[in-house]
Amino acid sequence: MARMKFLADAERCIECNGCVTACKQEHEIPWGVNRRRVVTLNDGTPGEKSISVACMHCSDAPCMAVCPVDVFYKTSEGIVLHDKDLCIGCGYCFYACPFGAPQFPQDGAFGLRGKMDKCTFCAGGPEPDFSDAEFKKYGRNRIAEGKLPACAEMCSTKALLGGDGDVIADIYRRRVTTRGKGSEVWGWGTAYGRPEKPPAQPGAKS
Amino acid sequence: MHGNLALRWVAWLSIALVAMLLPRFALAAEGSAQQQAERQIVQPLNNAPLWRDVRKGENPYQTTQVRGIETNVLVQTEGQIWREIRNGPVTVYGGYLLVLAALAILGYYLWKGPIKVHGQLTGRKIRRLSPWDRTIHWTVGISWLIMALSGLVMLFGKYFALPVLGYTLFSWLAILSKNLHNFVGPVFLIAAALMFITYLARNMPAAHDIRWLLKGGGMLTGEHVPSGFFNAGEKVVFWLGLFLFTIVVGASGLVQLFPNFDQGRVVMQYSNVIHAVTAVVYIAMMLGHIYLGTVGVEGAYDAMRYDGMVDEAWAKEHHEYWYNEVKGQSTAAGGAASPARAAAMKEGWKL
Ligand code: SF4
Ligand code: SF4
Repeated sequence: MARMKFLADAERCIECNGCVTACKQEHEIPWGVNRRRVVTLNDGTPGEKSISVACMHCSDAPCMAVCPVDVFYKTSEGIVLHDKDLCIGCGYCFYACPFGAPQFPQDGAFGLRGKMDKCTFCAGGPEPDFSDAEFKKYGRNRIAEGKLPACAEMCSTKALLGGDGDVIADIYRRRVTTRGKGSEVWGWGTAYGRPEKPPAQPGAKS
Repeated sequence: MHGNLALRWVAWLSIALVAMLLPRFALAAEGSAQQQAERQIVQPLNNAPLWRDVRKGENPYQTTQVRGIETNVLVQTEGQIWREIRNGPVTVYGGYLLVLAALAILGYYLWKGPIKVHGQLTGRKIRRLSPWDRTIHWTVGISWLIMALSGLVMLFGKYFALPVLGYTLFSWLAILSKNLHNFVGPVFLIAAALMFITYLARNMPAAHDIRWLLKGGGMLTGEHVPSGFFNAGEKVVFWLGLFLFTIVVGASGLVQLFPNFDQGRVVMQYSNVIHAVTAVVYIAMMLGHIYLGTVGVEGAYDAMRYDGMVDEAWAKEHHEYWYNEVKGQSTAAGGAASPARAAAMKEGWKL
């Protein structure tokens, strides 16, 4: 069985925020909740990089471990889902998650947290597939429709990949070996990255 | 001369050190962007230093269009540390501590049984606690109990209640617990502050408290150790529990109660650990207080229940200095001189 994964290729991302918009649109996510976001590193400096991040569906998920009511479960494809009906809104999953994935609609007084919402890898929730209840709480179940996550599917530069971990790893490997000048190879940047200098000794054999 | 020279050397050395270190700090703060720009020229596509910073959560140059708490932070590594501390020592040793405290009390009960009044009850009652004393103590007591029980559900419920109740039922219990915890918390804090003021004067430490503590109140030997209005054990509960633990638990709780001030996750994680550790120790201590106030000491519960009156024999047995004081006062009021009181005090001090 395939292990579903996300892969964000920082060399390709152009920070268009298309994935963020696609996610909101696909699942009709309430105002203020962002299941996916794009983070830019050193914005405005040559070599700036952008990365799209959402729940990564961890193998040993910290959110799962700290949840006091054990709302999380994992599908056979490694997707981390949760049951909103059980959630008490304590926020612990947000404290624990490395990627800041869990989101809370804060419509109560004093920032009282509602039911946690996060990326589902477009795989819905515990309710029956395609049911109204499932759509309302978790958004569309594209996996059950035989599709991949909306964000990755619509990414214009294919910087964001989502799907069978082995397949997307192969795609990424091919990219790494074919793009650039090999500067990602260890030592090449240091050894061959600088412009070639003429030999120091005048008259030496060339 | 020599001293002067040495001093000058030290001065020079420290200036040199500062001069050497300063640019480094400056580089660490603003260097990442500049470093990256330089690296683009010599090693395009190799951004290793930047990625190292990101991994350590150190890069201050992360930005995002999405608004919210720390949305610009790509990876926060502290969450995993918090997970290991909370699910590890806090839960495991905290659980052991509570079970051991309960077992110790049960063992003491089976071994010694309730502490009885030695002489005959006189049937004469004296007032120990006023209606306000009792009201505020019960307000604190009940709200404390709600906080403790609901807190235990959230820390340990997953392990002992969830397997019994099942997901749906346990979730109801947890949602109820969380809301009670959120709304009763402030009530508890206000009541505790009022109780602190109310009981402060009677909990001032006295010299004889040390003797009481050294003898453990005679709880193990059965020896009679006199004490004032409150004995040293009760004073420890007052200062350590009602004062110190309440402040720590209250402050760390309020930080977590109001996420709308945009405090970051690290603050929340620290607060959570401090809150849980203090609360577990607090509960373990109060188990002892609750035991002694109910079944542990015969007649103690009467002071808090009903009309706040206790039997004279009970007062003499457990709070002899206070008893002598009350008796002295009433004789003094009755007209017979204060020497009676002085004598009683002296007698108390002699012991
Ligand atoms: S919410 Fe965070 S911790 Fe949980 S699976 Fe997703 S990325 Fe991992
Ligand atoms: S907010 Fe909900 S999902 Fe997250 S840890 Fe708390 S109960 Fe679990």
